[in-house]
Amino acid sequence: MNFLKRAAFVLGGIFLGINLINYFVLGNSGDYLPGGQRMGEWKEAKIREACYPALEAPERDSLLPKLTSNEHGVDWRDLNRAKEITAALNCYLVTHSNAICERNNRAYIVDYINRYFAKFDEMIDTAKRYGESEMSTVRNLWDSPRNRVINAALMQDTSNGRLIKADFGWSVPAAMKPMLDRYKGATDNCPRA
Amino acid sequence: MVGGWIWAPNISSAMSSFVSVGPSVSLFADANRLGRPEVAPVVRSCIFRVVDVGPDAAKMEPSAGYFILKAGSMQASVSAMVGKPEDSRSEFRTVLSAIKWGELATCIYAQDDRELCDPDNRAAMVEATTKFFAFAKQAEASKSSIPAGEARTIENFSDKLLDALKNHRRYGTLVAADFSSFAAPEIMRIMREEKETRDICKR
Repeated sequence: MNFLKRAAFVLGGIFLGINLINYFVLGNSGDYLPGGQRMGEWKEAKIREACYPALEAPERDSLLPKLTSNEHGVDWRDLNRAKEITAALNCYLVTHSNAICERNNRAYIVDYINRYFAKFDEMIDTAKRYGESEMSTVRNLWDSPRNRVINAALMQDTSNGRLIKADFGWSVPAAMKPMLDRYKGATDNCPRA
Repeated sequence: MVGGWIWAPNISSAMSSFVSVGPSVSLFADANRLGRPEVAPVVRSCIFRVVDVGPDAAKMEPSAGYFILKAGSMQASVSAMVGKPEDSRSEFRTVLSAIKWGELATCIYAQDDRELCDPDNRAAMVEATTKFFAFAKQAEASKSSIPAGEARTIENFSDKLLDALKNHRRYGTLVAADFSSFAAPEIMRIMREEKETRDICKR
């Protein structure tokens, strides 16, 4: 192999390695969302800080996901993560319903929506091993009042053009595909500055 | 390169310590035989008898209690791995870890034998047994002597668990492949020498 090919191989390997670590290890999936006019820098999103108080004591919010039975196979870490992620997305989409109109916030919120559905999918996949009863427990967990309000907010934002398929790039959550397709072409009704 | 040359002996002995208390369950076990010990029903029944979290036990998930037990015993493993000079506190942690895992394993074995046909319960049993013997061996190998009462407790757990292992090997609830190759020699000897006489998990 000549020198240039070797150099290209090594540099390519370094580039690929850095990105794989960034995505899978550091979890910075927001770096791989599409850019453009609609989507800014997720690291600059002010909504993250604005919602820190909502995450301080999620155990005090009785409307967040909770298990209704003691007979389940849900790990405490998954349960806590379900509560945190629901509390956070509720703050981003419902409490601050116009936050998504700012492009940096939109980038962060889109990435967070992906994480929200990914967590649900992961818990359902684990529950499949235990049968229908466990899957029902997990579905009920994710059907809390806050989760239902999040679903309504997602439907509304999609119908108002605040969220479109292009915002998600190649990583559209399966649960969002039908509503994104249904409201394709909707005009963004964000207030203009 | 120079650093590696100088530190290679220390790294090598640290790795062998880690390996001796390494993975508890076999990485090569049939994926359907071993499940998730932290959510096992037997752990739900036993964990708060072993881990005392006071009145918080009512609000705490059993898997969180299991995590506390593992995190607490990890400190004893890490001390052994980095070759920390033995002191009375680290010896105490090792002996306490052995007793806690022994209590959990004994509680699990006290359940109905068929409970261990469930993959999560089986994984919990394998992990608790492996960890008990690993910490017991570590405590025995330490320079300072174990207090007599605690030594007797560990010996009693050891006898009970070895009997239980023999029974479960005969019942077919346990096989050698469930345990990692780092499991204590006593466990692997039983898995090798005892034979399955019936399969209690077959319906």
